[in-house]
Amino acid sequence: MSLFSWILPENIPWLTLLLIIPLIGAMITLVMKGRNAKYVAGGFSLVTMILSFMLFLFVDDLSTMSENIAWIDVMGVKISYALGIDGLSLLMVGLTGLLVFLVTVFSTEKERPNLFFAMLLIMEVGLMGVYMAQDYFLFYVMWEVTLIPMYFMISWFGGPRRHYASIKFFIYTHVASLIMLIGIFAMVFQAGALSGGTADFSFAAVSAAAGGFTEMFQILVFGLLFFGFAVKMPVVPFHTWLPDAHVEAPTAGSVLLAAVMLKMGSYGIIRVCIENFQLGAEWWQPVMIVIALVSILYGAWACIAQKDLKKMVAFSSISHMGMVLLGIAMLSEWGLMFAMFQMFAHGLITAVLFMVCGITGHNVGTREIPLLGGLAGKMPKYAGFMVFGFLASLGLPGLVGFVAEFGIMYSFYEYLAGVDMIYLIALVLLSLMLTAGYYMWAMQRTIFGRETKKVDLSEVKDTNRAETAVLVVLCALIVLFGVMPSLVTDVLGSAAVLGVLP
Amino acid sequence: MTWIDSLNSAWDAILNAVDAVMPIWPQILILIAAVLVPGIYILTKNKKVAAGFTMVMLALTAVLVALKMHDGYTGVYADLFGFDAFSGLMMLLFLAVAFIVALISPSYSEGTKHHGEYYGLLLGATAGMMFVASASDLVSIFIGVELTSISTYALVALKKNDPRAAEGAVKYIIMGGLSTALTLYGMSLVYGITGTTNIADIAALLNGSGFTWAYAIAFITLIAGYGFKISAVPFHMWAPDVYEGAATPVSAFLAVGSKKMGIVVFLKIFLLMFIGVTITPVEELQYFFAILAAITMTVGNIVAISQTNIKRMLAYSSVSQAGYLLIIFAVASQYAVAAGMFHMITHVFMKGGAFIVVAALAGKIGENISDYRGLSKRAPFVALAMMLFLFSLAGIPLLAGFTSKFFLFSSALYAGGDAISGQWVWLVFVAVINSAISLYYYTKVIKAMYVDKGSETSRIKIPVSHAAALLICVIAVIVLGVYPQYVLGLCNDAAAALWAMVP
Repeated sequence: MSLFSWILPENIPWLTLLLIIPLIGAMITLVMKGRNAKYVAGGFSLVTMILSFMLFLFVDDLSTMSENIAWIDVMGVKISYALGIDGLSLLMVGLTGLLVFLVTVFSTEKERPNLFFAMLLIMEVGLMGVYMAQDYFLFYVMWEVTLIPMYFMISWFGGPRRHYASIKFFIYTHVASLIMLIGIFAMVFQAGALSGGTADFSFAAVSAAAGGFTEMFQILVFGLLFFGFAVKMPVVPFHTWLPDAHVEAPTAGSVLLAAVMLKMGSYGIIRVCIENFQLGAEWWQPVMIVIALVSILYGAWACIAQKDLKKMVAFSSISHMGMVLLGIAMLSEWGLMFAMFQMFAHGLITAVLFMVCGITGHNVGTREIPLLGGLAGKMPKYAGFMVFGFLASLGLPGLVGFVAEFGIMYSFYEYLAGVDMIYLIALVLLSLMLTAGYYMWAMQRTIFGRETKKVDLSEVKDTNRAETAVLVVLCALIVLFGVMPSLVTDVLGSAAVLGVLP
Repeated sequence: MTWIDSLNSAWDAILNAVDAVMPIWPQILILIAAVLVPGIYILTKNKKVAAGFTMVMLALTAVLVALKMHDGYTGVYADLFGFDAFSGLMMLLFLAVAFIVALISPSYSEGTKHHGEYYGLLLGATAGMMFVASASDLVSIFIGVELTSISTYALVALKKNDPRAAEGAVKYIIMGGLSTALTLYGMSLVYGITGTTNIADIAALLNGSGFTWAYAIAFITLIAGYGFKISAVPFHMWAPDVYEGAATPVSAFLAVGSKKMGIVVFLKIFLLMFIGVTITPVEELQYFFAILAAITMTVGNIVAISQTNIKRMLAYSSVSQAGYLLIIFAVASQYAVAAGMFHMITHVFMKGGAFIVVAALAGKIGENISDYRGLSKRAPFVALAMMLFLFSLAGIPLLAGFTSKFFLFSSALYAGGDAISGQWVWLVFVAVINSAISLYYYTKVIKAMYVDKGSETSRIKIPVSHAAALLICVIAVIVLGVYPQYVLGLCNDAAAALWAMVP
C-alpha cells in the first residue's frame, strides 16, 4: 500500500478514461465553431496528460490497472475489451499524453480549427488504445483508428501535394496492417488449438500458448507480423510513404506521426513479435540487423541530399528508428531496454525538430535550405531551439539521445564481440559521423552564415510565446532525462518483454 | 350429424390446412400482399398508401418469422420447402432489403407511373427470394429464382423512357434467359444421375460414388447459370449496365437482395451437393471456388478503380464482394458459412446505404463521382452517412464491414480449434490486397465529398423517407460493427442448421 494509492482509487477504470476523455473532447470540438476549439481541445488533452502522468507517479503495481470485459464470444472465438499497462506501455502513454497537449498549445490553425483539433484528439484515442490494448482485436482496431484522422489531417491541412501524400500514406500503411492481421489470425488460432480449442484473442492467452509454437510456424508468422510493423516504423525499403507524408503534413501531424505513431511499429515488434516468438526472432535476427543498419545508414545518407529542412528531419527519423530496430534485434535485455529508451528519446527530440521546421515554414515562408541563411540574427530564440534540437538528435552527451544511442551501441558491440565481427561497429560509427555532418551542415546553411537575400527576412518574426513555452518544456525534458536516465529505465524495468528473454 | 358437427369438421379442415402450410406462411403472406398492392393503388391512387401497405406487410411477416425463429420452430412443407434457423435468418434478410427499398421508393422522383405494379413486383421478387431461402429441392429453388428474376426484369424495365434502362433491361433478360437454360440443363443432368430432385436425397446418393462426366458437366452448367446471379467473373458483365440503367432503388434491390439469393442458392446447391459430398476429390472443387473467388474480387476491384459513375463503381464493388463471399465455398466450414452469412447481413446495410445515398441525391446532383465534390458542406448528414458506408465497405474498424470481413477472412485460417492449415493463406492474401485496393476507390469518393471544394454550395434537402432509411443503415452499420455478438450468434445457429444437412 503506497502513500499515494488513495489518489487513484481502484474501482474506477482509469485506462478507459484515458480513451474516453479525448474521445468526448473530439466530439465536442467537432461540433464547435470558431477559435475556441483550441482551448476546449487543450483542456481535454491537458486532463488526459495529467491522468497519464498520475499513472507514472502514483501507481506502484501496474498490473492492478488492467481491465477486462468480454466483448464477442461466439463460434469458438473469444474477443475481449482488455486494457493493461506495463513499463513500456506506460512510457508511450505518457509520451502520447504529453505531446498531444503540447502540439495543441503549439498549433494555431486559422481555418476550420474545430476539425483540426478534433482530428488530433481522435488520433490520441487511437494511439492510447494501441499502447494499452491487451487483446489483438482491440489492438488492431486501435491501430487502424489512428489512420483516419491522420489521413484527414494531411488532406485537409497539408501542403500542395497533400492529396497524393495522404492517399499514399493511407493505402501503404493499410496494406501493412492487413498483412499483420493475417499474422494475428495465424498466431491466435494456433494458440487456441494448442490450449484446447477456443481462439482467445487476448494477449495473455497467446503468450501462454506461445511456447508450443513450432520453429517453422514462428518463423513464418514472425515474418508476417514483422512486415506489418516494419512498414509503420518505417525501415528501408518500406519507408517511401514517410517523407511524403511528413513534407505535406501540418506541423502537429508531423510531430505526432514521427514522435508517437512510428513508435507503434517498434512497440508492436517488441510486444507481439519478440514476446511471443523467441525462436522466430532468433532466425530473423540477422535480417533485422541488416535492415536496421541499412536504415541507419541510408536514412543518414539521404539526409545530406535533402533540400527541404522537413524532409531532412523525416529521413533522420528513418535513421533513428533504424537505431531502435538495431537495439531490438540484439534480443538482449540491454539492447531492448535501450531500444525502448530510444523510442522515448526520439519522441521528445523529433517533436522539437518538427516544431522548429514548422516555425521555419510558418514564419520564414519556405523550408528550402538553399534559400535560407543567417536566420540566427533575425530569430535568436528559434536558432537556439534549432541548435539544441540538432545537437540532441546527433547524440550530444548529457542529452537524452546520447543515453539511448550509447546503450544501443554498447549492446551491439557486445553482440558483435560474441560473433567475432567487431569491425561492423564501424558502420554505426559512420552513421554517427554522417548524422553530425548533415546536422552541422544544415545549421550552417540555415541559421548561420550570410543572408541569401532570396527570401525577404525584413518582416520575419521570432517564435511566439506559446511556441517558446512548448519548446522550453521539451528541451527541459530532454536535459532532465539525459542527466537522469534512471527515471526512465526504472519505469521500463517492469516491461513484460524483459521477463521473456532467454 | 348436425350442422354444428359439419361446421366443426370444416373448421378442423381449415386448421389442418393452415397447419400443413405452416412452414411457408411467410411466403404466402408476401404473395397475398403482392396480389393486393396493385388493387390498393388503383383504389387510392396514392403511391404512399401502396408503399405503406407493402412495408406493413413486410414488417408483419418479419415479426412472424422472428417469432418462429425465437421458438426454434422447424418444419417441412411437401419436401419442397422447409423452415429452420437458416431459412428464417435469410428470410429476415430479404424482408429487410425489401423494406428499405420500399421505404425509399415513393419519393424517388425519376421513373414510372406504374406504382401499383412496382410494389407488386417488388413483393413478388421478395417472395421468390424467400422461397429460395426455404427450398430443399432443385425444383423449388428453380421456381423461386425464376419468380425473382422475372419480377426484377420488369422492375428494371419500368423506367421505360430512359434508353439506358432499356439497354440494361434487355441485357438482363437475355443473360438471365441464358442462365436459366443452363441451370435447367444442369439440374436435368443431376436428375438423370440420381433420379431425384430432393437435395438431401441427391447428396446422400452421390456421397461416396465415383466421378462421372455427367456430374462434371452438371457442375459446370450450374456454375455458369448461377454464377450469373451472383455476378461472379466472368459472368458479371451485365451488372454494371443494369445497375446504372435501373432506377436506383431497383439497383439497390438487385445488388443487395437478389445477389444474396444467388449466394443462398450456391450454399444449397454447391455446398450441399458438390463440396459436401465425397464424390470426387473435394479439394479440387474447393480450389475451383478459391480461384473463382480470387478472380472475381480482383477483377471487380481493379475495374472499379477506373469508374467515374458512382453507380457503376458500386456495381463493380458488388462484384468484388461476391468474390469475398465465394471464400465460403473454398474454405467450406461451418465457421466460414456463419462468417459469410454475417458478411451478407452487413453488406445489406453498407451497400444498401450507399445506394440510398445515390438515390437520395438523384436529380439534385449527377451520378458522377466528380459531382460529389463539396458534398460535406451541402448535405452534411448524407456525406457523413456515405463516408461511414464506404469506410465500412473498405473494412475500417468498428464499422460492420470490418467485423464481418474480420470473421470471413479469418475463416480461411480457422480449423475449428485444430492446428491451423496453411492451405488457404494465399487466398487471404489476395483478399486483403483487394481490400486495400478497394480502400483506394472508396477514398476517392470520400475525398471528393470532404476534401475537394465543389463549384456549388447550395444546401441539398433530401426527403424524410430517405433520411429515415439512411439512419436505419447508419445505426445498423455501427451496431453490427461494435456489438456483433447477437447477430453472429444467429448466423452461427443458421450455419449449424445448414451444415447439419451436409452428408
